[in-house]
Amino acid sequence: MAACSRLPLQLFLSTQSSRVISSRKAETATAKHLYPPVLPSRTAKSKSAKRRVLLEFFDQLRGADPQEKIRALTRIQRMKYVIYPQTFALGADKWYQCYTKTAYLSGLPEKFKTSAEVNTDLGPVEQLQSVLGECAYSEIRSTVCNALLQENWYMKKGRTFLYREQEKFVAPFLANLVSGLVNSLVNKNPVLRQSSLDFDPQVNFYWVNGERMIPRGHRSGRIEPRRFQIDDKPHSQIRIPQQLPEFMPLEAEIPAEVPLIHLAPDYLPLFRRQYDNNISTGAKLKDPCQYGHTQFHLVPDKFHIDRLTKKNLADHSEVFQRANAIASLFAWTGAQAMYQGFWSEQDVSRPFTSQAVITDGKRFSFFCYQLNTLALSSLNNPDNPRKNVCWGTPTMCLYERLTDTDVLGWDDAVLKHLVQFLLNRPVS
Amino acid sequence: MGICESYPIYQLGNPQLRIFRPTFNMTLVRPGKEQPPDTVQFRISMEMTKCDVRNYLEKIYSVPVGAVRTRIQYCSNKKRNHLNQRVKRPDYKVAYVQLSKQQTFQFPDIFPEKGKKHEEGSVEEIQEKFMEDERQRQKPDPRRGGVTEWFGL
Repeated sequence: MAACSRLPLQLFLSTQSSRVISSRKAETATAKHLYPPVLPSRTAKSKSAKRRVLLEFFDQLRGADPQEKIRALTRIQRMKYVIYPQTFALGADKWYQCYTKTAYLSGLPEKFKTSAEVNTDLGPVEQLQSVLGECAYSEIRSTVCNALLQENWYMKKGRTFLYREQEKFVAPFLANLVSGLVNSLVNKNPVLRQSSLDFDPQVNFYWVNGERMIPRGHRSGRIEPRRFQIDDKPHSQIRIPQQLPEFMPLEAEIPAEVPLIHLAPDYLPLFRRQYDNNISTGAKLKDPCQYGHTQFHLVPDKFHIDRLTKKNLADHSEVFQRANAIASLFAWTGAQAMYQGFWSEQDVSRPFTSQAVITDGKRFSFFCYQLNTLALSSLNNPDNPRKNVCWGTPTMCLYERLTDTDVLGWDDAVLKHLVQFLLNRPVS
Repeated sequence: MGICESYPIYQLGNPQLRIFRPTFNMTLVRPGKEQPPDTVQFRISMEMTKCDVRNYLEKIYSVPVGAVRTRIQYCSNKKRNHLNQRVKRPDYKVAYVQLSKQQTFQFPDIFPEKGKKHEEGSVEEIQEKFMEDERQRQKPDPRRGGVTEWFGL
């Protein structure tokens, strides 16, 4: 298999070996200066030699295609920590924030709040109606109600196996809701016409953050980078051909701090495995819809709020949603950035943004993510001041009860947030 | 009820006359490696399970338990006694309990350091050592159990 080949990386990247390239660089240097530059050796058994080899390898990667870059960075398999976005681990959101260098801000970004601040006397219904128009609002509301009642009332469904209720009752509702809303809002948001709606995509991301000392073995005492991998399967996602605008400027001051945890990831618990290092946004690199818009995640049965309350873990549901949003959106935006050719030594020049909605059929929570940096631990940029930002709302109920042919206790704030997310469009 | 009398037969709905107490014990120990602030480490009986640990703490001590993870520590069977027989150090089970409701626990310092140590070779150190030896010489025989020398030969 290609992943197990023992060919050196340099041969894979270009026909000229790096020794030839570096000697050529030295020749051009001598043409300008009187004496050649004093460089550490390439082949000595020393830290500076290893660092020089690495820096030359990074320089070679700078001019390569994104496909080649991804292949070169993910070719070699080693043991890595696997981060599961939907996790039972208590307090996982702080740990995930530490490993993805994300600051968490509660509430949505200013862009979604300004419309509310301007019209404080209007309720969410009136705001929606002013944005969309009366008939569009009623059309959207009836789409959502129909999708709800279809799964819960119109279709006769019996009980299903243990832990499979969500996939029978809620997954079809969410699929109908998403496709119905996208079709209704195509006139208001023309980018949705060129978008791609995927169901059950596979989003993967592989990155390095921090270092660890190997505790035992023939390499004990040596420093090794800490590798992480996220393999996520959201329920559905919308990808668009242009990028969404940023929520805040790249170098802006972020009021929240990234929590620092000095304990090893094994205490979370996070487990290590070795397998293919994948980086994917849900589609291949040549796909025209390269940027992300919104992801929709389903809360599995095991993490339903009723089950967690019985186990004395009621506050874990919020933690679970935050951890899910941070991990999934970091993986998605990171994969989008790698598809554009950015990586940890070539940091992103513009922020990558995406949105996510996490639901269990009745309760919704909304998250926005802005990727400002991929250089979490890089040789060229060791003290990187930039950090990524995640905004999130607490859980909101869409309705209170469902009776025959009617939805009671409707909450328009949830619908307003959904519509705002789907109307978010790139700057043309 | 006495030892010789027997309890009446139990049927659903009868009042509960017998009290069942667990035969287990749990020992709170100081973690050898640093643990997260919400984790408490116990040594428990080998027959206990995670559910037993959770019920024990919640029902008897009303401690809100979030998650329990257990492992079995194997202790060596390598040491030999004077008859060249292998002597087994008994195995034990360790439980790591994560508390819910954002509670934290720090194992207390049971043996705090008291008295200040003088530096090596100084005059105060030699004096302290001399006083310590004098006190040791003046102490009565500990095998007499506090009885004075007056009651003796």
